[in-house]
Parts: sequence; structure tokens; C-alpha cells
Amino acid sequence: MSDFTVRSDNVDVEQIMKQIRARIRDKRGVDYTEEEIRELANVRLEKFLDPKGVRSDLLQQYRASRETPGSPRNFAFEDTTLYASSRPLLATIRRLLNPLLKLFINPNPMIEALHIQSRLNDSYNRSEALYYELVHNLVLETTRLGLEVKSLKMRLESMASRLDFDERRARALEGVVQYRPGTVPPLQPPTGQREERRDPNQPGQRPQGQFGNALDNEGNERRSRRRRRRGRRRGGEGRGPMAEGRGPMNPAADGAAEAPHASGDRTADGDRGDGGGSSTPPTDAPSE
Amino acid sequence: MKLAVVVQRYGADINGGAELHARYVAERLARHASVEVVTTCARDYVTWKNELTPGVETVNGVSVRRFPVAHQRRPDEFGRRSHRVFEKMHSFADELHWLESEGPSSPALVDYVARADVDFAILFSYRYYHSWHIARRLPRKSIIVPTAERDAAIGLSIFGPLFRGVRALMYNSPEERAMIEAATANAQTPGVVVGVGSEVPDRTDPGRFRRTFNITKPFAIYIGRIDENKGCGELFSHFQRYAAAFPGGMDLVLVGSAIIKVPNHPRIHHLGFLEDRDKFDALAASDLLIMPSYFESLSMVALEAWALGRPVLANGRCDVLRGQCIRSNAGLYYDTYEEFVEALYSLESNGPLNARLGRNGREFFSRNYAWSVIEGKYLDMLERLKREDQSRKAESHGTVEPMPGFFARRRRELLPAEEVLARIPRGAAPPQRGSYARSA
Repeated sequence: MSDFTVRSDNVDVEQIMKQIRARIRDKRGVDYTEEEIRELANVRLEKFLDPKGVRSDLLQQYRASRETPGSPRNFAFEDTTLYASSRPLLATIRRLLNPLLKLFINPNPMIEALHIQSRLNDSYNRSEALYYELVHNLVLETTRLGLEVKSLKMRLESMASRLDFDERRARALEGVVQYRPGTVPPLQPPTGQREERRDPNQPGQRPQGQFGNALDNEGNERRSRRRRRRGRRRGGEGRGPMAEGRGPMNPAADGAAEAPHASGDRTADGDRGDGGGSSTPPTDAPSE
Repeated sequence: MKLAVVVQRYGADINGGAELHARYVAERLARHASVEVVTTCARDYVTWKNELTPGVETVNGVSVRRFPVAHQRRPDEFGRRSHRVFEKMHSFADELHWLESEGPSSPALVDYVARADVDFAILFSYRYYHSWHIARRLPRKSIIVPTAERDAAIGLSIFGPLFRGVRALMYNSPEERAMIEAATANAQTPGVVVGVGSEVPDRTDPGRFRRTFNITKPFAIYIGRIDENKGCGELFSHFQRYAAAFPGGMDLVLVGSAIIKVPNHPRIHHLGFLEDRDKFDALAASDLLIMPSYFESLSMVALEAWALGRPVLANGRCDVLRGQCIRSNAGLYYDTYEEFVEALYSLESNGPLNARLGRNGREFFSRNYAWSVIEGKYLDMLERLKREDQSRKAESHGTVEPMPGFFARRRRELLPAEEVLARIPRGAAPPQRGSYARSA
């Protein structure tokens, strides 16, 4: 997260905030402005992305619509339906008077239309049961998948955060290690190599810029302290919160040697030991 | 020199921002001039109920004269009138009614100050009854300490003539000054950005705090009223997400009385109200101070954190806090959760950055808010005004524009104050306005 280079006498808060925002943009992938985010929120995009946004009462509404006692039954409509009656005599009279009725209106198109509608209603009722099953299963599956995605995202975020956090703390502790004089780590270069390494023009030497604190933000040369690095150069990866750990986490970056939270109670006036405390690593700590 | 310090409430145990500010200033100026504090008998800033005895008493060596409040605030009426002037087209008379309903209405106090034999009256908080009426009756002697936040009251028309007509203004921050100048076009009125100092102890004992309250882990601290208006709801939401993401991260310690419910979270510790000694020890033991407030005219607790070398993580939507962080180079700020978590983690994990910001804060405080600096600015301004009085150069200042006529006062043609406020530019004050030494 915090890969700010802290110069010995200067910190630019606005510059740091720009770096923070740039990192957030990198993580987010798409650079939405606050206004755009609000606009998205206004159209309730999350309703389509968030499993919680799926209408939880969808199934209930479906069930309710199917089980409503007052729902009309389908009406079978034939060519005799208009004249039918529970009393045979009345039905006969209607049939006899039918020619007279046709003098005033033509009921045939109406009978035909209602007959077709009746058949359509039948068809709809049969397919509705299938749609119900289909939607029911889809909603359940979508909800299950959404929850699973969210759970996985949370686990991923948590693991990434823990990893970054541990890495940074490890580096912070690493930074406060003091090498006792005379202690020679493995792969200690032979005498005189130290001077050679300091010459930036020597071929085969690691360029100064590779060290997080070799140059400050403005390109000024800084104290050429060496520090151990463990596999930290991994291209652009590890950019999330606590992901990197370049300059600032190394207390030797500017002589401010305090490791975060490593000091316990502080001095009475609250000084954090920010100005080169006793835990400053030696300036020429040997490299591995 | 005789000075009257006028403020809505006053007392050793009254710790509102403007009231504490007034007390500190009165006690400091009393070392250089004859100071009398004029205030009301109220203790409660919501009702203005008369709870203290009228008359004269001495508080920390300063004479305090109290006057009763004529009537308590009626919340329904005040709410209705606020709605009228803040959100609807309204008249000058509506604004006067609003001022009356806001209170603390004390005509006796105004009469006393208007007749008192003082060289200057230092009026705290522009938006209250006493400031408006005294400034209108005594413009040549009135010096206002506005303590203005970015709220709709600054958009009311009744305050424009006040800011343009008084003798001088003592601002808390460049942002406050920029906002008032934008709202009332009072750039010609003498003014200086002063702020206020704080009684920060020379030595603190963070270890004692940790032992007393059994807090062993690194922590960020919030000090103040735990209220939704102070941004605490958002702070809780952000911090709980942060805590879930970073199980090994720092804790959050809350100091102050809770108006809203504090989440029951293993990493959030609410200690309630603390005495000053405990408060400063807590601040010294913390890694940083979080200031989530949306509206501040000056954050005294942020200044105290800086005085103790602690960086601040502030709500960037508050112009004043953002401006203070930028000017001091002693704090980071956030607008969103992502910025909150990144900035918090930077301050937590990056020891050198934390230490450097803290050191900058300490320098910023001693450069701008040490009592010698604050006293010097007040005394310089008073001397300057005194010299102007003697040489009669103050003709252009100290005259308030007349009130509108009977009919003009009742014409509902004033814009809603919210709309006026929305037109005032936001953001930290530009550098040329940020000069603390500048005075018009």
C-alpha cells in the first residue's frame, strides 16, 4: 500500500494523496469519478449485480398468483354457448329466435373470437407451470452463484490483505535488524567489492535506482544505504493495500529508523523516534 | 484597553468548540487588557434554558457577567423557520424571525454591551442573536470571531451587512475566510486568520494511559462527541470494513460522549469522556488521530494531535480539515472508503511517513497556533484598530448598512440559503489565501 518515499526533510501530502488515488484507480481497473459512481448507484446497478438485489419475494409472488382463490377459471366457448341454458325449453326458444337475432347483430365473429381466446387461455395455463419451474430454478441458482461469488471475493480479498500485511511487517522487522560488526553473512563479497559496488559506472552492478531509497521523488541522490531485499521486485504486482513495501517501509529510507509498532510505549512527549533512533540499520549493511 | 468578550455560553465546564475558544481567548487577553466576559445563563445549547445564576462571577480569574435568556428555543418553531429560510424563497423578515427563534435571545445582554464602556467587543459565533444585535448597534467596536462552518446559515442575507460593516474579523482558517468572503463580499473588512491555541501539557505519559485502560495494541484515536453529524457513523462503517480486511491492523479508540450507538466490535474501544490528562496521554499513545467530521471551522483536537506530534487522518469533504492537512503537511485525508483504508494503512505501516507527518504537525502548531502567536495576532489587530480610531482612519469600517424598509423587508425574494451555499466554491483555500499572516 504505502510506497511513499519519505525524504528526510520534506513530505508532500498532496503528492501522497495523488499516489493513493492512482493506486486505487489501478486496483479498481476503471477510473470512475465520484459523480459517475453516484450515477451508477442511482440507476441501481447493484440490483443486477448483487445477489441481495434479486427480488427475494419473487417466488412468493409467483406462488401467490398461482394460488389466488379468486382467479378466474378458463371459459370454454363454443358456437352453442351463447344460446345454452340449463332449461331445455329456453334453449330451444333461443335457437328458434336465432334468425331474428341475426337481423339485428351478427354474433358469429364474437363467438369465433371468444373461442380462440379460450384456447389461448388453455395454452397459457399449461405453459405457465413450465415457466414457473424454470424461473424458480433460475432464481435459486442465481442467488446461490451470487453468494458464492461474493464469498470467494471476500476470501480472496482477505487472503491478499493478510499476505500484504504480513509481507510489510516482515520487511519492517527486517529493516530494524542490526548487523554486529564482524558478522559476515553468507555470500559476503570479498574485501574491496563494497567500493566497487558504489561506482555506478561499473558494469554488472545493480543500478542505483533499483534501490527504493536511492533517489528521492525529485531525482536527488540520497544516502546510498544498502538493504536486503527479498523478492520484492515483481513487476507491477502486489499493488493492493499493503502490497508493496518499497522505500517507506524500510526505515533506512531516510534515516527515520522506527519500525511501525515496534517501539511499544513511547517517550513522554510522544516522540516516535522518527529521527534516526537506535534501531537504525548500519549504513553499509552487507548485502546478501 | 477594555474588552468585552461576548459568547452564548461560558464556564469552566462548558466545552463546546466556540465556547472553549472564547474562554481560552478571554483568559489569554486578560493578561494584556481589562477583559469582561458577557454571556447568558444558559448551559444547554439546544434549549438555552436558564440554569446559571445571573450576575457577576469570576471564572479562572476572568470576570463573567451573565444575563438571563428571554425565552427558550422552541424546536418545532425553529425547525419550521429553518426550513423556510434554508430551503424556500423567503424575506428578510423571515430571516429575522429565524434568528429570534434560534436564540439565545437576551435583549438585556445586548443593551448592556451597547452601553458598556469598552474599547472593543469580541463577539463569538456570528450566527447567534447576541452577535447580530450587538454588531448592528455597536459596529465600530465589534470584532467578530465567526466560527463559521459550511452550513446554510452563511447564506442568509442578514449576515452580509454584518460581515461588511464590523471593525474586524478574526477567522479560524483560510477556508472559513474564503467562504465568508465569497458569501458576503466582505474582502475590504479587516481580518486575519488566527485560530486558537490549546492547553497542551509539556509532558505526557502514554504508558500510563495504556496501563490504565489496558490498551496494548497500536491504535488510532477519535476524540469528540460521537455523533452522526461528526461523521462517526461513516467512521464506524469504514473502520469495520478495514478491520475485516486487516485482522492484524490497529484498533480504534473513541474518547467522548456517545450520541449514537458505538458498534460492539472487539477492535473498537469506547472510553467515554476523559479528563484532560487522560485525553492527552491517550493522544500521545495513539498512532494517529482520525477526524471524520464533515463540518469544522477549526478542529482544535487536530491541532492538539499535531502539537503532540501525531498525524491526522481527516475527512477530505471538510474543506477546513483538508486545507489544514495540506498546509501543515501533517495529515492525510479521505473522501471514500478506498481512500480511507489506503491512507490509514499508510499511516499505520509506514513509520517514517507517520513520524515525518507528526513532526510537520508539531512545527505547524508551534508556528501558527502557539499561544504567543495567537495572542500576538489579537493584540496586533487591537492595536491597529486603536490606532485607526485615534487617527480617524476607520470611517469606512464600522458602519453597518441600514435595514431594508418596511415593505422591502417583507418581500419574499431572497434565495434559499442552501442554494446560496451551493454556489460558494468548495475546497481547500488556495495558497495565497492561506497565508496566516495576511490581514486586509
